[in-house]
Amino acid sequence: MHLTEEQALALAPDESSKKAGKDLSAQSKWVSKGMNDQALWGECQGSGSKPYQTQIDITSIAFKCSCPSRKFPCKHGLGLLLLHAKQPGIFTDNEPPAWVAEWIGKRQVRDEKKAEKKDQPVDEAAQQKRQQARDQSVEDGMEELLLWMKDIIRNGILNIPGKEETFFTSMTKRMVDAKAPGLAGMVKALSNTNFYKEGWQSIFTDQLVRIYMVISGFKHKSGLPNLLEDDIRSAIGFTTNQDTLKEQQGITDTWLVLSKQTTEEDNLTTERNWLYGTQTNSYALVLQFSVRGQGITFSLTAGMAIEAELIFYPSIAPLRAIIKRQVTTNPVYSINGMSDWKQVSEAEAAINSVLPFGLERPYIMQQVNLVQHNKQWWLTDKEQRLVQLKDNYKNIYILLSVSGGQPLDMAVLGKENIYEPLGVWVNGGYMEL
Amino acid sequence: MQFWNNIIEHAMLGTGKKPLSTNDVEEAMVSVFETISADVTADNEDKFFHLASVAFNYRQTGSLPQHIKDVQEFPAPAELLSYCSTAAANNLKDILDTGSNGLLGFWLQQCFTKQQLVPPALIPILLNKAVQQKNLRHLVTACCGNCGIWLSQFNKDWNFSTTLSNEELWQTGNPEQRKQVLKQLRLSDAAKAMEWLQQTWPQENANTRADLLKVLSVGISDDDMAWLETIKTDKSQKVKEEALALLKQLPSSAIVQQYWQVLHQAINLKKEKTMLGLSSKMVLHIQLPEVVNEEIFKTGIDKLSNNKNFTDEELTIYQLIASVPPSLWQTHFNASPKNILQYFQKEEAHKKFITAFATATVQFKDNVWGEVIAQSEEVFYAAIITLLPKPQQELYCNKFCKQNEAAIIDYATKRTDEWGAELALNITRYAADNPYQYNRQFFNQHSHLLPASIIPQLQNYQPKEEYYRTTWTNTSEYIEKLLALKQQTQQAFS
Repeated sequence: MHLTEEQALALAPDESSKKAGKDLSAQSKWVSKGMNDQALWGECQGSGSKPYQTQIDITSIAFKCSCPSRKFPCKHGLGLLLLHAKQPGIFTDNEPPAWVAEWIGKRQVRDEKKAEKKDQPVDEAAQQKRQQARDQSVEDGMEELLLWMKDIIRNGILNIPGKEETFFTSMTKRMVDAKAPGLAGMVKALSNTNFYKEGWQSIFTDQLVRIYMVISGFKHKSGLPNLLEDDIRSAIGFTTNQDTLKEQQGITDTWLVLSKQTTEEDNLTTERNWLYGTQTNSYALVLQFSVRGQGITFSLTAGMAIEAELIFYPSIAPLRAIIKRQVTTNPVYSINGMSDWKQVSEAEAAINSVLPFGLERPYIMQQVNLVQHNKQWWLTDKEQRLVQLKDNYKNIYILLSVSGGQPLDMAVLGKENIYEPLGVWVNGGYMEL
Repeated sequence: MQFWNNIIEHAMLGTGKKPLSTNDVEEAMVSVFETISADVTADNEDKFFHLASVAFNYRQTGSLPQHIKDVQEFPAPAELLSYCSTAAANNLKDILDTGSNGLLGFWLQQCFTKQQLVPPALIPILLNKAVQQKNLRHLVTACCGNCGIWLSQFNKDWNFSTTLSNEELWQTGNPEQRKQVLKQLRLSDAAKAMEWLQQTWPQENANTRADLLKVLSVGISDDDMAWLETIKTDKSQKVKEEALALLKQLPSSAIVQQYWQVLHQAINLKKEKTMLGLSSKMVLHIQLPEVVNEEIFKTGIDKLSNNKNFTDEELTIYQLIASVPPSLWQTHFNASPKNILQYFQKEEAHKKFITAFATATVQFKDNVWGEVIAQSEEVFYAAIITLLPKPQQELYCNKFCKQNEAAIIDYATKRTDEWGAELALNITRYAADNPYQYNRQFFNQHSHLLPASIIPQLQNYQPKEEYYRTTWTNTSEYIEKLLALKQQTQQAFS
């Protein structure tokens, strides 16, 4: 396991956990500590008489602690990980105590049980009936949504900024009722348009058109390639069974975590992990969800390189994936970024020609520089081709400071001609921005 | 992208008002447009969405980066100093996490002393800190190196790190910057500072004139007297008052001499016979002359007493003693400061004037008198502390610590060097008994002044009030953490 202090800290669920974890990263706080190929463990003296037993499965970065905290990972898990990052040499005991061996054993048994469960037969007729009912519900919802959109475009979007919030929320709720959560999200994105921003009309129309393409695609799905139909179903909100997905053969690679973007809404935390396959030169988006700190399966942090098998969701331009199996963390990797923006636009054109309603994608670019031109910020390549920096990019000063106005290899996320930097390579290492 | 603008224009007005035509789309899309328009089963809105979808994908698929040859790159100038170690950088991040500005200042000072720089990724964080913490600005600017100066051109809030000369700042800076420049120059070249001030004086407004005058108390000397006398007649009352306050700090100014004229007639030593004329002793005679120059009462000396312990005459004398250099008494009585204080201590009625000597000692920054008062008096005078030599300052504070803690903390927190262990423990004990007043925020601000050697003794002290104990335990643990960070800073730059 090769995690730096910063990468370990990035696993913290909140700022207070970070601080508490740092406090516990002193050797004196740990009564015992050890490590072998599978686990990292230690006993931390808390306020009680018995020390807390903290253990980390280092093959898939999973935590367990006997403390009562609901946070995940807890401060003890973070403290232990930080201590290891600071002083790996002091973890000399490699014979796991019973409580560690028991937990690791249970995790293995659970994996086996999961595999057995998959073999149980399913009632295909009932499943098909449920599927048909859902399709019907979605189609009914879509008709209403299309009617709503037609009303908007018939009257013109000029008056949209003045509409009541309920104008959008009632349609969002209707889509949820129609069992089309993807469309509900797309309507919500429509309502989230920044109407104070210059050019909102184009952004709003773009989103209307995307929704139209999804609805239209679903209506005419019989004539579409199967994979594009999967994309349409996924955009509407039909889920793909992850267990079925995991039965497939995945892509094993050393995946570099380019960025972990976390958003929180209604107690649901969504983690968007952007990964780059260093050998396959492919990109993946791994989503993880948690409610009150519970539910994250893999602890990923930007800059971490993991040896893992990923399975992509069926798509005509695969991006979203799940981690089937994480073998270990691996710091050795090389990157093979694109040399200029022309290559990026060619890649984008190829994807858009088969998946017209897709969203932003990550790319790694060699030697990109941040420059000012006509009072705007641009990202320029060595051929002096420019794309625009995303508006209000929050890390602009850190990027300027780290680069010092010199070109750097950079991971970016975006589409068309607008991109935001995710991270850069400086002094031989990757740094998330 | 005119075709897309046309589509947006139609979207804004609505398909009910303005349907799309072939003129609105690019030539490559005309045939698609005609096919879509010919669909008799679709309504106008369907046709609009259908065509907009095609146009949308035409736009995004054909999107190309701009090719501009004359875009200027503007790299930051190379650094002349080396970066601090990784350990020091990590220590800085930990300090930033605590929000302790005291420790941050300490870290920056160490970095500056060692002629090192902060890593680039931390520069924006420090520049933002310095926006709020003006006292850290010069250190932040120094420790952020050329990159910091280069970076500050992109954010107007960080203009402070742009290195303008003192003269430019004096001419074009904001009032606070100008005051700082004047103060700095006053310390290094008092005459030049005076020259600059006189040059711009007619253009300044009354408030600025009064503010800038205050700065002249730094390095004030007789050389300033002639000019200060001329501005005593300024139109602004504020300016007049400031000028008078400055003149009162000059022993040879007319106003101080005027006071002394009254005083040296009012207070005299007279020989009195005792033991039936067999021996004699020196006795103080205190009485205002019959005719007192009424002008003195127009310069801030109160004529009437509102204190029952002072008569009107005593109050006048008290104020005058506080307004003349104490050294004048040495010549007047031909006696040492210690003996002079003893004359006043002999009689109960005269003791009340001793505090006036302490005030005068502070006003005229008389170190000799300061030491004498500190040694011979059993009364604590907070303002005297800074007149004492460094080692004696702490001895004086520790001697009078009980009952005077707040004043001593006020003095101690203004210091920039580390406190001695005894003073630090006296202060932390007082803080333990007042944990809400001297809380984490207080220690965040001042923990860099505490010596790390007190860590083992922090937990030993328990507040007198039992209900404060948990709060103090938490605070003392926090102080330990801050002191551990301070130790790490010292190690990282050792």
